[in-house]
Amino acid sequence: MSKVTGWLKKQNIPGIVYGSVLIFLFFSIIEKKFFTPYNVMLIARNSCILLTVSIGMTMAVLIGQVDLSVGSVMSVSAVMVKNGVPLAAALMAAFGAAALFGLVNGILIAVLKVDYWITTFATMSIGAGLALVISDGSTVPISSKFLDFLGNGKVCGVYFLIVLTIVLTVLILFLLKRSKLGYDVYSIGGSENVARLSGLDVNRTRMMVYLISSLIAALAGILITGMTNSASPIVGSEYSFNALAAVVIGGTSLNGGKGGVAGTVFGTVLLRIIASGLAMLGVPATWQKVIQGLIIVVIIVADVSSEKKKDVNGLRRIYAND
Amino acid sequence: MSGIKKPILQMAGITKRFPGTLALDQVQLTCYPGKVHVLLGENGAGKSTLVKILSGVYTRDEGTIEFEGRQVNYTNVREAMAYGISIIHQELNLLPERTIAQNIYIGHEPRNQAGLIDYGKMVKDSRALLKNLGLDLNPDDYIKNLSIAQQQMVEVVKALSNRIKVLIMDEPTSSLTQKEIAKLFEIMEQLKKQNVAIIYISHRMDEIKRVGDQVTIMRDGKYIATLDAKTMDLDDAITMMVGRKIDNLYARSYNKPGKEILRTRDLKGLRFRNVNITVHEGEIVSLSGLVGAGRTEIAKALFGYDPIEEGGFQLFGEEIKKPSPKKCISRGMAFLPEDRKAEGLHLLMPIKENIVAACLKKDFPNFILNGKTEQTLGELYQDKLRIATSDVDKLVGELSGGNQQKVVIAKWLATSCKLIIFDEPTRGIDVGAKAEIYALMDELVSQGYGILMISSELGEVIGVSDRVYVMREGEIQAELSHESLTQENIMRYAI
Ligand SMILES: Nc1ncnc2c1ncn2[C@@H]1O[C@H](COP(=O)(O)OP(=O)(O)OP(=O)(O)O)[C@@H](O)[C@H]1O
Ligand SMILES: [Mg+2]
Repeated sequence: MSKVTGWLKKQNIPGIVYGSVLIFLFFSIIEKKFFTPYNVMLIARNSCILLTVSIGMTMAVLIGQVDLSVGSVMSVSAVMVKNGVPLAAALMAAFGAAALFGLVNGILIAVLKVDYWITTFATMSIGAGLALVISDGSTVPISSKFLDFLGNGKVCGVYFLIVLTIVLTVLILFLLKRSKLGYDVYSIGGSENVARLSGLDVNRTRMMVYLISSLIAALAGILITGMTNSASPIVGSEYSFNALAAVVIGGTSLNGGKGGVAGTVFGTVLLRIIASGLAMLGVPATWQKVIQGLIIVVIIVADVSSEKKKDVNGLRRIYAND
Repeated sequence: MSGIKKPILQMAGITKRFPGTLALDQVQLTCYPGKVHVLLGENGAGKSTLVKILSGVYTRDEGTIEFEGRQVNYTNVREAMAYGISIIHQELNLLPERTIAQNIYIGHEPRNQAGLIDYGKMVKDSRALLKNLGLDLNPDDYIKNLSIAQQQMVEVVKALSNRIKVLIMDEPTSSLTQKEIAKLFEIMEQLKKQNVAIIYISHRMDEIKRVGDQVTIMRDGKYIATLDAKTMDLDDAITMMVGRKIDNLYARSYNKPGKEILRTRDLKGLRFRNVNITVHEGEIVSLSGLVGAGRTEIAKALFGYDPIEEGGFQLFGEEIKKPSPKKCISRGMAFLPEDRKAEGLHLLMPIKENIVAACLKKDFPNFILNGKTEQTLGELYQDKLRIATSDVDKLVGELSGGNQQKVVIAKWLATSCKLIIFDEPTRGIDVGAKAEIYALMDELVSQGYGILMISSELGEVIGVSDRVYVMREGEIQAELSHESLTQENIMRYAI
């Protein structure tokens, strides 16, 4: 046993992983139907949309900021899809609108130095309104084989949506760890001053991050349209804050420069496990939110205190180094 | 003197204004390949501003820069780097959450054919660079796990990872130990052989003749003179730099010690053990020893930042159980940390707010901030300590390093403390201000304060102390009184 814990300690696994596993075990034990292939697949599938949005959000948080507009961008791109409009044109409009949102965020924040909370809160509001205007406030059914396949199709018994999300996750993970853009994101998030003094183009990187975050949100909007076979103007309304929660639970520091996509995957799945488990136990939706919030607090407090412990150990090392 | 070689760099008529400050006024500087050019000037004279203009951090308002015979007009760091101009800044500029290799190659990471960053190569190259400079560091280690001195050496490696023709070093030795300083000077010799021009800034007067070829003196943002480092008279240079003659750097009126203020009892903590020291009213007591001997750790433990593992201490005869900064302040203890940026100041707050930060309770009952009291206190200490600023409303971050240190001192004087712990009180401070700070310390102890000083500058320890405890590897080796203080005496116990 001590060997196992010793090994685990060396791996430096963040608390969130243990948290996810513990909560998963908890639900599996008290609810028989929880740990079944069917339910596991359902949780995975329900995690996909949130994970997609959260990945874009992860980049924004890594750079030391936040993109609150992602949910609204989802809604806007969802309502671009309409019966009668050719799908290709609708998709182009969806991604075009998203790109516009990303650019506006980027220009306001990076070039005009407007506060990022204010900026993305404003574009969130603009997007939410626009989605209602474009759709006349109504949700319409969509019949598109392609979109339906994206949302509900299966390959080799696994939802295509899951495959797609995994591919996207790996792609962004790779981008962050191995590309110049990814390096710059971590550097700028770590310290904008250091980045500037080292000759990095801080503004361009910021703009790229907001652009990517918006485009990924548009993808999420399209996917959810496929999944539900309908285009709703309020489909993204809860996603901004849920994505931010997933990122922070996943251990990415709101100060920037620390964390990454891997943590976000766990953060997202954890949120969905909790939702699924509570629903299965018959907890009413209203209480689900309360409990979910409490669990988030517990996890973050646990994480913070373990970080503090690490800091003290780090202190010892620094002294020993002199 | 360098008549044969052509200058690699000529700056002329450089002027730079900040809101409310004329930081540089028609300054000139000429550098030759393979030579070290020392910039000498008081805190706030504009040295850092000048080299920041040269390295593309700031843009000049007026003036010309000629590099290798051609006019250059770059406006950012990247372009300056492309010319081969690299700078080691006065402050550390590293990312704590990234590895040594990532920090060394930030901004010019090696890539493979696919355009992806090649971390393997980065580590390999970093290892070679570190080894070449004789540094025993693992490029995969995180910066946050390094000591300040090690981080400073990483900064050096970072600057050298570019192809450089001009290397600017802005106070590189202020947080290094003797061993690393020797290494740094070796590196500089190597660079000189490779025909790199070096611009060197330091407030340590003993270094100037040791490393310098030429010296340019600046005062209040103005160019004063350029001298030959080897033949000039150091006292003359200091007079030019300060604008007045400094007769006695260490003016002490040794008083008769009064009541006991501090007494420790077999204190043991992170890096020290069996520490028994006392400080009395009217005394300046120093902890001397090499960097890393455990001196700062004692101060931090006394002030409640670090845990005390065994033993304890008394302040004014009262046993302090479980010390915390708040408790210590209320019992009359003040601590001026060595890393003033990280631990002593709020850089983005005005000077006056920094000064009152530790005394909020006493002067501001009911927690109500009183702008008028704040202003009065701010101006009082600006006056008393001669903090060079037009206005106490300015942000501390805009002050020069030496003046920032004065703000920290003001902050603690504004509390009603009677015991002041100074950790490296004159690091990065010019000779003129040093004299002022020593005079201030002397004045304080004459008024009955007690001072515990930690310093790596032997001259300072010998010059101002009543008593010295010499430490080695966490233990006190000797207690010397000021009559028996000599360099040899201290070093005998320190090594
Ligand atoms: N970013 C800034 N904004 C406003 N004023 C500034 C800024 N940077 C420097 N100054 C002012 O310009 C003057 C020159 O400062 P500088 O940092 O160049 O001095 P220095 O010679 O490097 O001093 P030190 O030896 O203390 O490092 C000072 O009066 C300082 O307050
Ligand atoms: Mg300076």
